[in-house]
Amino acid sequence: MRISIKNVQIAAKGFNPGESYHVSVVDGKIAEIGPSSSLAEAELEIDGSGCWLSAGWCDLRAHFNDPGMEHKEDLESGALAAADGGFTAVALLPNTEPALDNKKGIRYILSGNSQRLTQLYPLGAVSIGAKGEELAEMMDLRQAGALAFTDGTRPITNTALLLKSLQYLLHFNGLLINHPTEASLVRGGQMHEGINSTLLGMKGMPVLAEEMAIERDLRLLEYAGGRLHFSGISTAAGVDLVRNAKARGLAVSCDVSVAHLVFTDNALLDFDTNYKVNPPLRQEEDRKALIDGLKDGTIDAIVTDHQPQDTESKKLEFDLAEFGMMGLQTFYASLLKAGVLDASLLAEKVSHAPRRLLGLPSIEIKAGESANLTLFSPEFEWQFTEETNFSKGINSPFFNQTLRGKALGVIANGMHHFHSAVVVKTNG
Amino acid sequence: MQQQLSVKHLLGIKNISSEDIRLIFDTADNFKEVINRPIKKVPSLRDITIANVFFENSTRTRLSFELAEKRLSADVINFSSSNSSVKKGETLLDTVNNILAMKVDMVVMRHSSPGAPHFLSRHIKANIVNAGDGTHEHPTQALLDTFSIREKLGEVEGKKVVIIGDILHSRVALSNIFALQKLGAEVMVCGPNTLLPKYVRELGVKVELDVDKALQWCDVANVLRIQLERQQMKFFPSLREYSLYYGINKARLQKLDKQIVVMHPGPINRGVELSSDVADADNAIILDQVENGVAVRMAVLYLLAANK
Repeated sequence: MRISIKNVQIAAKGFNPGESYHVSVVDGKIAEIGPSSSLAEAELEIDGSGCWLSAGWCDLRAHFNDPGMEHKEDLESGALAAADGGFTAVALLPNTEPALDNKKGIRYILSGNSQRLTQLYPLGAVSIGAKGEELAEMMDLRQAGALAFTDGTRPITNTALLLKSLQYLLHFNGLLINHPTEASLVRGGQMHEGINSTLLGMKGMPVLAEEMAIERDLRLLEYAGGRLHFSGISTAAGVDLVRNAKARGLAVSCDVSVAHLVFTDNALLDFDTNYKVNPPLRQEEDRKALIDGLKDGTIDAIVTDHQPQDTESKKLEFDLAEFGMMGLQTFYASLLKAGVLDASLLAEKVSHAPRRLLGLPSIEIKAGESANLTLFSPEFEWQFTEETNFSKGINSPFFNQTLRGKALGVIANGMHHFHSAVVVKTNG
Repeated sequence: MQQQLSVKHLLGIKNISSEDIRLIFDTADNFKEVINRPIKKVPSLRDITIANVFFENSTRTRLSFELAEKRLSADVINFSSSNSSVKKGETLLDTVNNILAMKVDMVVMRHSSPGAPHFLSRHIKANIVNAGDGTHEHPTQALLDTFSIREKLGEVEGKKVVIIGDILHSRVALSNIFALQKLGAEVMVCGPNTLLPKYVRELGVKVELDVDKALQWCDVANVLRIQLERQQMKFFPSLREYSLYYGINKARLQKLDKQIVVMHPGPINRGVELSSDVADADNAIILDQVENGVAVRMAVLYLLAANK
């Protein structure tokens, strides 16, 4: 099968921005890339004008709730939402029921990958049940296919356990991912602590909680060695701490969720539970610092932090509602809203860096390589509605809005999925 | 002069204008005159059914609302549950929709979750009056407090009011701050530092840790009830120490070179935040607040009923 993508800009090294290319993919491999359409007749022809092609996107942080809470999402609905959002790989949090703390769970996630376009990669639990008490069998989890280790939505609060995890992971240079929060300072917290939480009478989660957790974890990293990744940095102070740690040569990395690049805690003034996320949405100065951190290399990756919830978990009083926001399908439109526009920066933060962190093979766009590609348009206008939502979740602030920017196609694992808007002809 | 409220619901003082507040006051003046007549009842809300839905314990607020409703000739039903209903397996929305299915026009709700009435207002048709939502707002309390200051001192504008006690967990404090500021008063908060929100200064209020200095500064001291039930952990060492350092007693007031007005939203912990000799003195207007509460709530219900 030959797919030909015509007149597309390519966001990768060796290609000139502003110049259009024709890319043909034959049986899952990139066959030709050229400046003109001196290409053989294709069965599927894609109009790439106005679009970009980059290495397939990889999400470092999503929660598919499968096994255990499949009414919120399952592997198949999540994988479809991911493909529609432009993702050819997604790393899944271990906070399932049961947690991904045993090789059976890891294998369950991986088992369907040969039939999927979007490859799902399990993150193994650091502790049994991801409860932060006793170490899980991480060597065995690694052997079964866990790419990195985290207790996911639960921060590792026990200092001794975190130290042991870092030491233990050195056996195979494994990556430890922690959500940096000093738990005792955020207990009962609903949102960022500041003037808005004061106005709303809600318990706040102070910036201090993130700062202290990052400081502690960095000290442990310095002491133990190993590789540490902070997931979901949300504060200007957090960005500064990681920047300084990197300057000191520590093996530390971090990511930011797309929601924190777009929204601030002003979004909460009407008690809309769609904006109830953890870490909480912060203030404008934090949002700006996060974008600066992306540009200067302090923040390695942008994640969707896709956390689908059902109506029963969100259509509630604010303090009773669950945390989390969907993020896969609206990811690119959100980034554009945030003003993160540069296509090659995007390729680095959403494809190359996350794959490097997970130890996945790097993706090159050149003839002979297997095709792992995302096609996206910064101009395409669309509506995110119940009909276009592939996830089982209902918790997106973008529902029924006209959005600009969308991933319009993905090719990976010998499969493809293109939005009808870019398909010129099929079976020619 | 404005004749209608700018809102359909009374969710909080934050959401209404100073003109709204003045309209409520002027309307309450009339109702206060009514409830002091031999026949205390008017037919204003004769065709209106009001549900008092209380998910938190309350005696005086519920009584005050019920009396206000009955004085206006509304039909009244009461629903109370000490837990938020979701714990019993029914959501707030289901509970309220069940009540509304019985053709109810207005809902007066107290709930432990900040924003619960705001949430409700997006999903139901009836007018909603917030009778206290967690640690967020208690708008009718702030209205009756400022109404009482106006009654006692002639006006609120330019007056110095200190709110003393647990500011952190107090919906009365927050609503009072908003109301006092909208009416042009100067506001100070005073209490142990652990009971003051870290960002409270950004609300535009003064902060004073020393209660004697606060009393010397003010024209009015609104003394809050120490709410042990709303605290997840101890925010101060003991009631004894609180009472020694923040309790308002006659000795403290006699040191001042002026007389100040003392208020309390009730119920009073006598001997803790307020001593009996202060609570029962002439410059304490605590029972006036209670009386005004009925008139102010009548005004709120009456005006909202016109904004269907």
